[in-house]
Amino acid sequence: MSVDVQPESANRWDVLARAAARREAEEDAAVLVELLAFDLDGDPYAIPVERVREIVRLRPVTAVPRVPAEVMGVISLRGEIVQVVDLRRRLGLAPAEATRRSRIIVLHADDTEVSAIRVDAVTDVLRVPESGVLPPPTTDSEFVDGLCECAGRFVSLMNLERVLSLGRS
Amino acid sequence: MAARGQGGRSRSAKARREFVSEVEEILERMRDDLARLAEQADAGRGSDPEIVNGLFRSAHSLKGLSGMFGLDGMSELAHHLEDVLDGLRMGRAVLDAPGIALFDESVTLVSSTLSKLDDETGREGLEETLGALVARIDAWTRSGAAEEPEAAELDLDPAMLRTLTEYEEHRLGECTRSGKGIYVVEADFEILSFEEGLAELGAAIKELGELISTLPSPGESEASQIRFSMLVASELAVPDLCEQLGVSPERVHQARAVGAPEAERAPAAPVPEAPAEEAAVETSLKSISETVRVDIRKLDELMNLVGELVTQRGAVKAIAAELAQDARTSRHGLALAKVHKTLERKLQELQAGVLDVRMVPLRQVFDKLVRVTRRLRLDLGKEVALEIRGADTELDKLIVEELVDPLMHVVRNAYDHAIESPEERAAAGKPREGRVRVEAFQRGNDVVIQLADDGRGIDADAVRARAVAQGLLGVDEEISDREALDLIFAPGLSTRAEVTETSGRGVGMDVVRSNIAALGGIVDVESHPGRGTTLSMTLPITLAIIQALIVGVGEQSYAIPLNSVRETLLLDPADVQRSDGREMLNLRGEALLLRRLADEFGLEGAAGSDKGYAVVLGLGDMRLGLVVDDLRGQQDTVIKPIQGPASKVRGIAGATELGELGAVLVLDVSALVEDAVRGREAASERTADGGESTSAAPSDADSEREGDE
Repeated sequence: MSVDVQPESANRWDVLARAAARREAEEDAAVLVELLAFDLDGDPYAIPVERVREIVRLRPVTAVPRVPAEVMGVISLRGEIVQVVDLRRRLGLAPAEATRRSRIIVLHADDTEVSAIRVDAVTDVLRVPESGVLPPPTTDSEFVDGLCECAGRFVSLMNLERVLSLGRS
Repeated sequence: MAARGQGGRSRSAKARREFVSEVEEILERMRDDLARLAEQADAGRGSDPEIVNGLFRSAHSLKGLSGMFGLDGMSELAHHLEDVLDGLRMGRAVLDAPGIALFDESVTLVSSTLSKLDDETGREGLEETLGALVARIDAWTRSGAAEEPEAAELDLDPAMLRTLTEYEEHRLGECTRSGKGIYVVEADFEILSFEEGLAELGAAIKELGELISTLPSPGESEASQIRFSMLVASELAVPDLCEQLGVSPERVHQARAVGAPEAERAPAAPVPEAPAEEAAVETSLKSISETVRVDIRKLDELMNLVGELVTQRGAVKAIAAELAQDARTSRHGLALAKVHKTLERKLQELQAGVLDVRMVPLRQVFDKLVRVTRRLRLDLGKEVALEIRGADTELDKLIVEELVDPLMHVVRNAYDHAIESPEERAAAGKPREGRVRVEAFQRGNDVVIQLADDGRGIDADAVRARAVAQGLLGVDEEISDREALDLIFAPGLSTRAEVTETSGRGVGMDVVRSNIAALGGIVDVESHPGRGTTLSMTLPITLAIIQALIVGVGEQSYAIPLNSVRETLLLDPADVQRSDGREMLNLRGEALLLRRLADEFGLEGAAGSDKGYAVVLGLGDMRLGLVVDDLRGQQDTVIKPIQGPASKVRGIAGATELGELGAVLVLDVSALVEDAVRGREAASERTADGGESTSAAPSDADSEREGDE
């Protein structure tokens, strides 16, 4: 591995330190969990990256009758028709207007089906060591499986199965 | 054995799928060939050698395939069939009705073995059956062995006779006995292009008779040419043959004149030429595989792509229009509009092309009917003629597959119950032989399949009595004969023999109706006591694309499959009447039940207003006027299932993407009509919460009819 030490770079030691950190991270790679972090009512949440199929901008959603209110309706993804769950409603949070940062995350619900959730904003992809996942502070947390610390704040890891089992919970 | 890698399981699953589909294709071909042979046998004609050859090739492939897959019993059966067919080809045996039945049975048995590939114990049982069948085939072969036919005396070069294969020898003998002329036609071809010339002449000869053999001839032709001798049998005399083939008479040698009496003496025993025979089989196998098997899901993907292109095309059109309006860019705008026109046309062609690939003729199903009825006729001892019309009518492959069971069911019902015994028929002044006609034809974007019999018809009174006895109908409930007829589709009615004996049809008709409804089709029945019953099934041509009426309620658009729309009416508030909380309309003397889509789906805004349109939906005899705000035109739509946590919604069949409208829900007409007419309050099954709760009519649903699903 070669380290890029250009005179322009602010601090040579900083570059070397980052390279070392990267090496360390690679050694630890076997136990890292990759998470997609998103924002909901000002709080960070995350889901495993491998469950994410794609992320699209919020677009007009066609309402569907006779479904639980958490289901906003359906969108068409290149001809595939997918229901969108409003995560704010699902978690019992106050509804919010759409903003430029609103996103729909399309998920693999299981091997064959896809689902989608609406979030306020997609923020980051996190790599967290498995050992760094903490249990949630309460035992009756319905939608959160665990917490992980990131830049001093706790990110809630969502239990997608529970989130997506409408009317069955 | 090679080590099994990670992909081994999925690879073998794929290999198995391919094996199954290949064998199914072979079986299908065998069934067709058998049906044609049976027809010929019925008509007292001999078996067409081409068909026997086709069967032989099928059995040969089946043997190879099943051997490769380790299905020894199946391979063994195929091997015996191959032997029998070889005997038929050589004229050592004649195919009679029991023989055909044995073949039918073999095909069925192989087919059930296929369906039990995963079921180890089930397969063991089948192995035994396979063994028993092989034994019966052998017994039949021994009993039916024909005597070795004698060939005629021919004026042929003995050297040529010696080079003929056993099969060619047999054909030569057959043709001679049937009084055809036997000729040797010599022709020279340029070495470089002889294959084409030979194929051309061969085809011309087959028009005029039979080409028994083609042999290279040692004759003294020019250096750049090659000479062939073609052994031909034809009913034409030399001059006619020469004229029609365009060859000079000196190149045709007559070995035997037309119409002369039978031969007296057989030539020297022929030597079988096994290797040459094998080669012939190989080449003809190759010629079959001009078709490609395609997984229908791949076609669905293609269809999706075309759908996306259509959406993009709309965007191009809009840009062109925008450019054309600005003076600075109008030239480009017009040019783009022109390109767009071509694009649109080509896209339509592409769409039609992809759809066309999915289309298969109904013949596949109808041939199955013929096979089943052949056996039924024997089993039931009834005299019934089955008439098939419109077998070339094409439908989406998926629909055709789903049609097999319902069609089989109604035809079997007709044979079982509708057609009377010959004695009964004679007593009623009808011909002893009953008739069942199956007819298919296209009507607009639908295909109609009608099954008509001239049997005893359905006795409306018997149906009524039965319905009362089973509690489906109140004792003093008055219903018309038509309504009574419709009751045969009610679940649970007349599953007992005593009623079917008198009503003619009705066993499991509810299943038939729901099967057809699942395909977006409808079933109607018409019957005249003593004269017969006609069942009509109306089906969309394809499931991939359906024509839909786009309707609007407030901001929302919905698509309604056009084949269930009977008509649309502009609603005049003054015409709307209320009765017991339901709205209705006088439609040419009939009371048309109205239901507002806004109420049905709990939509805001439009409810309460009397303006709008009534879309008259039909499901069999049931009618419902669905009230919407406006009609937004017709569209070709591709119905897609809805994916997601609450994907099954009663009243919604799926959704489709319609350009600027985005995803549009497609209504499930049968559910909506059934729920409204039967008085079931569907909205209560899963009510939208919040302020959107429905204001549907109070439910006083007839609880007796509720539990029918």
